[in-house]
Amino acid sequence: MTGIPIEYYVLLSAGVFCIGLFGILTRENALMFLMSVELMLNAANINLVAFALLHGTLTGQVFALFVMALAAAEVAIGIGIILVLNRNFGSVNVTDAATMRW
Amino acid sequence: MEGFLELAPATALLPLISFIVILAFGRQLPMQGAIPGVVATFISLVLSVVVFIVVGQGYTYNEDIYTWVAGDEVIELSFGILIDPLSSLMLVIVALIAFLVHLFSVGYMNLDEGHAERGGLPRYYASLGLFTFSMLAFVLANNLLMAFIFFELVGLCSYLLIGFWFTDKAPPSAAKKAFLVTRFGDYFFLIGTVAVLATFGTAAFAGSDSFPVIAQDIIAGDISETAIETFGFEASTWFTIVGLLILGGVVGKSAQFPLHTWLPDAMEGPTPVSALIHAATMVAAGVYLVARMFGFYAISPTALAIIAFVGAFTALFAATMGVVKDDIKQVLAYSTISQYGYIMLGLGVGGFVAGTFHLMNHAFFKALLFLGAGSVIVMTHHQQDMWKLGGLKDRAPITYWTFLAGALALAGIIPFSGFWSKDEILYDALAVGLETPILLVAYAMALLAVFFTGFYTFRMVMLTFHGEPRSEYAESPDPVGWQIQLPLVVLGVLAVVAGFVNMVPVEKLTGLEIAYLYQWLDQAWLEQPIPETAAGTYSALVAQELPSADPNVLLPALIALALALGGALLAYRLYSDPEPQRHVDELGSVGHVVEHNYYQDEFQVWLAQGVTARVARVADIFDQGVIDGLVNASSSISLFSSEHLKRIQTGVVTNYATLLLIGFLLILLGFGIYGGWF
Amino acid sequence: MWIEALVLATLLAAGIVFLAPDRVAPRLAFVLSLIPLVGSLWMFLNFDGSGNALREGSTIAFQNRVEWFQLGDLYTLNWHVGLDGISMPLVVLSTILTTLAIVSAWTPIEERQSQFYGLMLFLEAALIGVFVALDFFVWFVFWEAVLIPMYLLIGIWGGPRRKYAAIKFFVYTNIASLVMFIGFVALVFGLGDAVTTFDLTDVAQALTETEPDAVGWMDASTLKAAAFAALFIGFAVKVPVVPFHTWLPDAHVEAPSPVSVLLAGVLLKMGTYALLRFNFTMLADQAMRFAEIIAAVAVISVIYGALLALAQRDLKRIVAYSSVSSMGYVILGLMALTIYGVGGATFQMLSHGLISGLLFMIVGVIYHETHTRMVSDISGLATQMPITVGAFVAGGFAYMGLPLMSGFAAEFFVFLGSFGSPHLPASHIVTPMAMFGIVIVAGYLLWAMQQTLFGEFDLATDYNPREAQLHDLAPIAVLLALIIILGVAPEVAFEMIRDATAPIIPGGDM
Repeated sequence: MTGIPIEYYVLLSAGVFCIGLFGILTRENALMFLMSVELMLNAANINLVAFALLHGTLTGQVFALFVMALAAAEVAIGIGIILVLNRNFGSVNVTDAATMRW
Repeated sequence: MEGFLELAPATALLPLISFIVILAFGRQLPMQGAIPGVVATFISLVLSVVVFIVVGQGYTYNEDIYTWVAGDEVIELSFGILIDPLSSLMLVIVALIAFLVHLFSVGYMNLDEGHAERGGLPRYYASLGLFTFSMLAFVLANNLLMAFIFFELVGLCSYLLIGFWFTDKAPPSAAKKAFLVTRFGDYFFLIGTVAVLATFGTAAFAGSDSFPVIAQDIIAGDISETAIETFGFEASTWFTIVGLLILGGVVGKSAQFPLHTWLPDAMEGPTPVSALIHAATMVAAGVYLVARMFGFYAISPTALAIIAFVGAFTALFAATMGVVKDDIKQVLAYSTISQYGYIMLGLGVGGFVAGTFHLMNHAFFKALLFLGAGSVIVMTHHQQDMWKLGGLKDRAPITYWTFLAGALALAGIIPFSGFWSKDEILYDALAVGLETPILLVAYAMALLAVFFTGFYTFRMVMLTFHGEPRSEYAESPDPVGWQIQLPLVVLGVLAVVAGFVNMVPVEKLTGLEIAYLYQWLDQAWLEQPIPETAAGTYSALVAQELPSADPNVLLPALIALALALGGALLAYRLYSDPEPQRHVDELGSVGHVVEHNYYQDEFQVWLAQGVTARVARVADIFDQGVIDGLVNASSSISLFSSEHLKRIQTGVVTNYATLLLIGFLLILLGFGIYGGWF
Repeated sequence: MWIEALVLATLLAAGIVFLAPDRVAPRLAFVLSLIPLVGSLWMFLNFDGSGNALREGSTIAFQNRVEWFQLGDLYTLNWHVGLDGISMPLVVLSTILTTLAIVSAWTPIEERQSQFYGLMLFLEAALIGVFVALDFFVWFVFWEAVLIPMYLLIGIWGGPRRKYAAIKFFVYTNIASLVMFIGFVALVFGLGDAVTTFDLTDVAQALTETEPDAVGWMDASTLKAAAFAALFIGFAVKVPVVPFHTWLPDAHVEAPSPVSVLLAGVLLKMGTYALLRFNFTMLADQAMRFAEIIAAVAVISVIYGALLALAQRDLKRIVAYSSVSSMGYVILGLMALTIYGVGGATFQMLSHGLISGLLFMIVGVIYHETHTRMVSDISGLATQMPITVGAFVAGGFAYMGLPLMSGFAAEFFVFLGSFGSPHLPASHIVTPMAMFGIVIVAGYLLWAMQQTLFGEFDLATDYNPREAQLHDLAPIAVLLALIIILGVAPEVAFEMIRDATAPIIPGGDM
């Protein structure tokens, strides 16, 4: 493989993943949650594609496609959940919806 | 003739049938169950007399008749019948007194309004029937286990009959005490029975492979000690231990010190019951057991000496308490304890015949005295306090004269029966004591008790029958029926003549062979003797361990007679006024202690309530607090920790994510350390 | 196939009663319970087994053994049932006591009757199963199945603290089952190739022939000791043995009387039965290793249990604690490892089942008439209900070990077996210590009887007790008759028991 070494991809992926993780841990808005999850998924996609390139196989790329489809489905369901959340609690703040506990 | 001996079980089973019949049909029966009881005991009496006669013809019987546990791989446990001169004699005594008491009960319970209207008579006669059955079966038992079984059943009947008037406060309590105290003794007896079986593999009383014979052979060196299990003890030591364990049951049932406290309380039962159970038969069961397995005790001088000392001490101890009692039945109760002390002393100094002789005489005269007291109670509307009686001499002559005969026998005045047997016991004690001086102490105690016996006996006679009546009921006693008088007369005659069967001093002085009881028990004339239960065998065995001197027969007899007469005369002097005075106060603090029975009852109550009950309460607190506390603590800890752990479950999704991350990192760290990445 | 028929018939009966209307359930349950009763009695009379089921050379009566399914590559599970001289009397005890308990429930149980009686019959089926099973898994299923109806019976029809008692009972015995299960499975795995089934007969046989391999950090000897300890503790809870006994008084006090009858009468015997089968048959060598501890536990159970009974003021608690005491004799007899000892222990299981069942029934009758069980609340009951009181006195004396009643026979056998036992340390000291229980038991029972039955009639509650009805007294009379029969002629059951216990005695002596 020529060009950019694999480490850069991995670093990029880790960075994107951490941004997503940071978003999940700090934000309270459910929509931001959804976006953070998207970031993490895409971090995984970067890895898949990068290693597919490294090994010269298509498996990773195929998986990346799967993940994209999954992300799309997740957004569809996620938005639905957020709508219901908004209807029941009057906000999309995840800390408000804390009834599922002891 | 021999075949009649196989009828012996029927003597015991007939009262059992009467028990079952009364239990089943009680109220429907005429006389509330008295008739089956009287009839059954009468037939038993006839049968036992037949058995006695057949033994007199020279036959004996020793067979197992029922296998309780078959012994293919284990020790066999069975019930069997042993009929030898001793048991046939005892059989007649028990059957006779049981019959007379049944008859007396008709007069005492059915015909007395005060007793009859309280009801429960079927229960009374059923219990009497069960008692007679158990006692006769005990007498016939040919092994220790069967003896124990019926010993316990006798205790049950005693419980039922002492507590007969259960709506009152005192009788149930007395019944409980009687069973519990004798149970304490029986605990040792049970250990002894188990030990005998574990040691010898048999519990038979007689026969060439019976346990007394094996023990004798081992002591004599005919059998090696290793043939039996002695649990690491010397054979002779172990035999003494086992003998003393069995003696525990004897001390309980025969009301010997320190387990005598139940007997005076047992007077709460109906008076015929006192006569039958607490004087003539059940209490006799204990000493009869010692006589039955005398071959086992005869090889252990230690056990014999302990028996002698317990007996002598009890004789004196109980006699002093009898001196200060006001209730006529209480006096008789203490005299019973005291007299059984004499029997124990007699057996303990090796006087097998003397002990048996006194057992027989005592059964007659004590049953007589109790029935006489019962007669007094009936005629004076249940008055038992001697200070409220008096002057009955002329108003109830039959009761008086028979009672007097019994009293003379009890006090040991020549020629009444008690004199001959008590004298023989004292003579045997002296003879052994001269060789083994420590036993002279026992002799001295017993001799002193003679004086007290004479005193309390005549104090009782004077207060009850002489002087002026001291209550309206004593003034005009009700007449009593023949059901009451007949037993009194029969026993009165026996109290006079029974002593003539074994006049050893007369034999020694004149050379006439008139010690019939000795000859009877010695079995020399039998066609089928059971040598291991013969009196001669016993005296030979005892003589090896406890040698005896041969003192003059006249002097000890005169001393004892003088003491008895002295006591009687003192009582006469003190209480012959028409209005006798109490003299207890003159005894000062000693009298106070004696009146309270030396605080024996208080001591035992303290043992039961102060010690055992308190230990139980502490155990309960420990159980609830510590053991159950630990169980409950484990559940509390689970609840407590879950109460706090569940707080992690905040419901905020961000926290979950954080925990997820931390967990993931920790796992990573763990793998890292385990995998050696660092 | 007779055993399967017995269990299935009982289960079917349970189902029918469960679905029946409340009105007919009591009578229907009684009639249907006669089927297993008659069946088991028929088996008892036609019993043709000999020897001990877990030893070679025995004939197991009514045996049925089929392969059931494979577990992994190595292990086969069997369906294996059968009866020997130890289990046969216990099956009869279960069926008799269930029928009698059902009759005695007619008066006190007034709510949800069909469910109550259905559960009683289900319990009976499970109990029979425990005693007939000869494969560990079959046995374990029944063992656990017993807990379900008992939990519900206490939890639904019990007294004021029924939930506490039911949960305590369930959790305590269930944890014990877990310990026991681990112990046994570890033992079987330790045996490796020597056994390929969980069949009790195979495991017992393998243990006599081979030593288990080391498992994990445990060598063979440690493994056996650990398995023995786990099994012992697991069963000790069920028996119960001090210090694992505290669930028992709570369960008894809260359970309705008919349930107490089965709880004391049969459930406790599951523990001692299992101890006999597992600890003292399969692992007798280990039992001898722990002889001092077990003997101490037995003596403490007897004396401590009796002392606790002495301190109680509630009639049911008195009987409950005295059960702890009586079970101590069973442990003592088992540890003696002599024919009289082990046989006497088995006989004591029977005898105690009958006697404690009797006393619980009588206490139940008294409670129903007076609505109190406190000794201090009642006195002079004898004038009000003479027959019940007569039975109480008879039962009390039976419990105290009065001769010619079964209790005496059982205790005497145990004492005889343990006094000369070569396996019990200081047997001639330990046995008399345990025997002192017979004095204490007389103390508290006589005290309780004197307080409640005799004296002037007085009652702290507002009820007017009258003589119990005929159907309350009938089971009491039957039990008394059985107690006396077993006391006068112990050979009825003891012959069979002796035959089955003789092969497990080490050395075969006495």
